[in-house]
Amino acid sequence: MTPDAALDRLVRRVGAQVRRRRVEYHALRGFFWASLPAVALLALKGPLGPRALPAAAALLIAGVLLGAAWGALKKTSRADAARLADRAFGLEDRVATALEWAERPDRTPLVDSLVADATARVERLEPRHIVRRILPRETRFLPGPLVVALALTLAPALPLPSPRLPDFMGSSQEEDKDKSTGSGLLEERSKPEARERLRPPAFEEREFQARSGASTASTAGDLSAVFKDTSLSSQRPDFNSFLKRGDERLKLLEQVDRLPDLASDFTASQYKMVFRKSKALSGGLRPDQISPQKLKELLEEMERLGRKGGNWSGDVGEGMEALEGGQTDKAMEAMQKALDKMRAQEEAQRSGKGLRGGRDSERGGGSRDRRGGEGGGEGEDFGEGEGLLPGKGKSGSPKGEASRRLSATPYDVGVEGESRRGRKDGYDTNMTGRGGPMASRLHYLGVIGQYRKLMEDAITREAVPRDYHSQIKDYFQALDER
Amino acid sequence: MTDDGRVREFVTAFETLRAEVEKVIVGHREIINHVLIGMFAGGHVLLEGVPGLGKTLLVKTLSESLELSFARIQFTPDLMPADIIGTNIIVEDADGRKHFQFQQGPLFAHIVLADEINRATPKTQSALLEGMQEASVTVGGVSRPLPAPFFVLATQNPIEMEGTYPLPEAQLDRFLLKLRVRYPAIEELNAIIDRTTQSRQVVVDRVMSGAKVLAYRELIREVPVAVHVRDFASGIVMATHPQWADAPDVTRRFVRYGASPRGAQALILGAKVRALAEGRYNVSLDDLKALAAPALRHRVILNFEGEAEGIDVDTLVSQIIENVETSTAQSREPFVR
Repeated sequence: MTPDAALDRLVRRVGAQVRRRRVEYHALRGFFWASLPAVALLALKGPLGPRALPAAAALLIAGVLLGAAWGALKKTSRADAARLADRAFGLEDRVATALEWAERPDRTPLVDSLVADATARVERLEPRHIVRRILPRETRFLPGPLVVALALTLAPALPLPSPRLPDFMGSSQEEDKDKSTGSGLLEERSKPEARERLRPPAFEEREFQARSGASTASTAGDLSAVFKDTSLSSQRPDFNSFLKRGDERLKLLEQVDRLPDLASDFTASQYKMVFRKSKALSGGLRPDQISPQKLKELLEEMERLGRKGGNWSGDVGEGMEALEGGQTDKAMEAMQKALDKMRAQEEAQRSGKGLRGGRDSERGGGSRDRRGGEGGGEGEDFGEGEGLLPGKGKSGSPKGEASRRLSATPYDVGVEGESRRGRKDGYDTNMTGRGGPMASRLHYLGVIGQYRKLMEDAITREAVPRDYHSQIKDYFQALDER
Repeated sequence: MTDDGRVREFVTAFETLRAEVEKVIVGHREIINHVLIGMFAGGHVLLEGVPGLGKTLLVKTLSESLELSFARIQFTPDLMPADIIGTNIIVEDADGRKHFQFQQGPLFAHIVLADEINRATPKTQSALLEGMQEASVTVGGVSRPLPAPFFVLATQNPIEMEGTYPLPEAQLDRFLLKLRVRYPAIEELNAIIDRTTQSRQVVVDRVMSGAKVLAYRELIREVPVAVHVRDFASGIVMATHPQWADAPDVTRRFVRYGASPRGAQALILGAKVRALAEGRYNVSLDDLKALAAPALRHRVILNFEGEAEGIDVDTLVSQIIENVETSTAQSREPFVR
């Protein structure tokens, strides 16, 4: 049995109403979204000229048509339309049930009565609009682009910033130019104002410098004076605090002899070359996973370098013996020791006059002389019976005298700076001198690979935001390059 | 007889039966309707209310208006299963030989009034389980069918809890509907006074036979249910489960266990009877809404927070319905989609 024509008619009528509302709804949406590029077109009225207005209008029409087409193409199922009719006309789900059950093979005898009942009720209905109009959310924001579009239509073309570089010619020259090119009069009149806006901050700084009346001679010696009374002190609070605190980096600038020679070629450093090769060799692998052949080649190269005056030949020899005996881990340890020595020697060379020469004697002082100029024995730092134990030593105080600090000097434990490559300028500091290769330190090569592997595991295991992955990896990359 | 004629006959029978009961019972129109719905749907009904509201009288009147056998069992703590089911007794025949003979208990009646059912021990309450679910009882390894139609109407007092044994969830689930008999309004109270304190005797006529009841039960199962109506019913039942992904907040907060599939069956069957009693050939969403509270209130178990805050299950069910209705209306609005 097929559903009665009256039910079909009702469903089609409701479906048409739904489609009409959908067309309205999506046309409004299309109008809104098309209005945004239309406004942009109107804003470019200057360069586009008289074509902007018709183009904007065409965009709006296209948006409306596309939206309407989209709404018209969306399908409404018969069941949905029937339910809508049931709700709207108070038919208590008669139409939806009748339409559904009329075509089912397992329909019961009551279905015929149901269809007849539903048809009779539908025929008594007076047709009316039952689908309410729903405005899309975008309609609330529609007045915005419309007002802007209207204003842009009525207003003159917006002046756009010129892509040319600012003109640094003096005013007299400009005047001369004006005289020579009379045709571009209007454009030239608008230039000074635009140029003022486009000036880079460096120009403002120059102006402040000039206004403060400070001569070039006075600024050369006192860098902070350049910025103290200028607007930069408020604009760049970070830099201000940098000045106030007397950052270590500024002090480093004064110690010219301790600065790394950044101009020198990287390959000039034997240590760095060997270090990089050793890093490439290990690469986070366990000692038993490292190629013995490559390790041997590296040790041989270190031995060759050691013959030219290095003191690491012994360690390299030990490493070679261990490698021949199949003890890769011991060979790695020996290589690490040799690397440390290479590094210490290179640092000594880089510090100009050496740790114990020249300025060492100037800065030294008597107390260090007493300890033999090398910091003395470690046991001499505390006298007999002195130290932290209460009641010990010469003091009558129950807590004893305060223990003396280890008198560390740049010659015992120094710090060297290295410019860090990257987007931001910065320095990496490393320990140098006697305290640098302290025995308590882990072998750098031994741990950095492990740490890198742990890091790789951690960022996959833990909830580390994806954006931070590259930063973390860059950090470890920077560690490797040291 | 045509289907249309059968439906019209059912509507008339339903109204006649109700009118007979209303000769005695004042007010409680909804309760009477739901009792009749339970009977025609083939389920059992639990009536809950304070003493004196006419629960027992309602059941007695209903039994008097039907051409069916009626038994009343007053549940007490010392009532034993054999007291309601029956037992094998030794009898002597004409030849003087003795043998066991099954003596039927009061359960072997068409309409059984289990008065104050929560006063009996769980053992005796459980004796009803098989009868209510299978329409048969097993005594001495022999299964004996109960007469058809078999309809249990139980009453219980919600206030007096001392010396009572609250029905377990499994037993409660066997009741198609649980009805709350509320105190009558003042007009109804006046009518009760007038009707019960005069010498005029009310005679209730027997207007329906057991065979008719069974025939109507068959007719009711033919009522078609549209897919969206069935989905609405299952949506309501699922929304009573706090573990369900789309359960409303009120369910998650206050419900320990939701309704069983029997709840959905009760909802649909009750809705079918209601639709047919109104002369309609299909189940509507309104039928489900009207039947949701009686069909689900004893199947939704509150958690500690719900009990502590005194949450009314009826209110909870109505909130669940609202929630399901809103979500369904939104998702099925053809215009938005």
